[in-house]
Amino acid sequence: MNPECVVKSWPRTFASCCSLIAVLIGVAACGAAASDTPQAREAADPTLFATSAWARAADSAGSTAVYFVIENRDTVADTVRGASSEIAESAGLHVSTQHSGMMHMTSVPALPLPANDSVSFRPLGAHVMLLGLRRALFADDTVVVLLSFGSGRTLEVRAGVRAP
Amino acid sequence: MRSPRSLLRAILLSLIVFAAACDGPLRGIVMEDPEPAAPMVLTDASGARFDLAASRGSVVLIYFGYTHCPDVCPTTLGDWARAKRALGDEASRVRFVFVSVDPQRDTPAVAQAYAWQFDSSFVGLTGSEAELESLKKAWHIAAYAEGDPRTRDYAVAHPAHTYVVDREGRLRVLYEPGVRGEELAEDIRKLL
Repeated sequence: MNPECVVKSWPRTFASCCSLIAVLIGVAACGAAASDTPQAREAADPTLFATSAWARAADSAGSTAVYFVIENRDTVADTVRGASSEIAESAGLHVSTQHSGMMHMTSVPALPLPANDSVSFRPLGAHVMLLGLRRALFADDTVVVLLSFGSGRTLEVRAGVRAP
Repeated sequence: MRSPRSLLRAILLSLIVFAAACDGPLRGIVMEDPEPAAPMVLTDASGARFDLAASRGSVVLIYFGYTHCPDVCPTTLGDWARAKRALGDEASRVRFVFVSVDPQRDTPAVAQAYAWQFDSSFVGLTGSEAELESLKKAWHIAAYAEGDPRTRDYAVAHPAHTYVVDREGRLRVLYEPGVRGEELAEDIRKLL
């Protein structure tokens, strides 16, 4: 090959490579964006659903609880192992219990999710606690919580905010 | 078409059911021999003195909780708000008092702002550690931090029940958390 020819064609080759890389990055970015939508998650895992999700309105820097029902349509039992939300500094699984006339709230590492069954997170029971809210939550806002499971699955829950 | 006699029978039956509902027993834990409620004197957010004894003639609902409580406290105050709406004009003879037992994080202003989220007529109170210790002793209740109180996000164990003081100032009935607002309103009417 003529060395002069290689040198002359280098800019064109470099430009082609850059274009290809740009296209690949674009495709990857689109894929990542698509996988963040609830539809994409449902499509990726049609055995896990959250319904009746809601959260209580709260002041900025305060805390609130998120409630929902998780349905596991898989034939294998799982565990809810954690929660996170961009709207709060921290999020966790909590359970309210009543003993001898006293109310207690305990942080729990996991909650069982039986096969082909559902688990309710509801007032006075299990809930996702959001601590250190980054902004106030008003009625009709939406809170997005990402749940993680022992199986490695994840589920995005979109909870409508209700007046306290 | 219904005959006048069957219509009359239906009306009479409705009246009997309504009367039974009005005279039925109170829900919750009813005190057999109600005794005068323990004293409760605290300073509110405006600096005014709140004295439970001055509420004689009204039914007073009291809940001991804390404002960082995300579950049972807002559930209870939400039920109170529904009860108040169900009471309509009669609610003017009822006082709803939230007392924070978390003096480390709550001030009278914070407790009042919290109570106002549910209804602008609700009273939110707290006191100094010494005042709350006296209150807990007088009311035979407990409240304590669960978790590390040096952190911002500790929980507080607190009484589960709504305490109801009748118009004569007697501790009359305790309600479990989760009682429906409409049921609570029905019971409050019986005490008015």
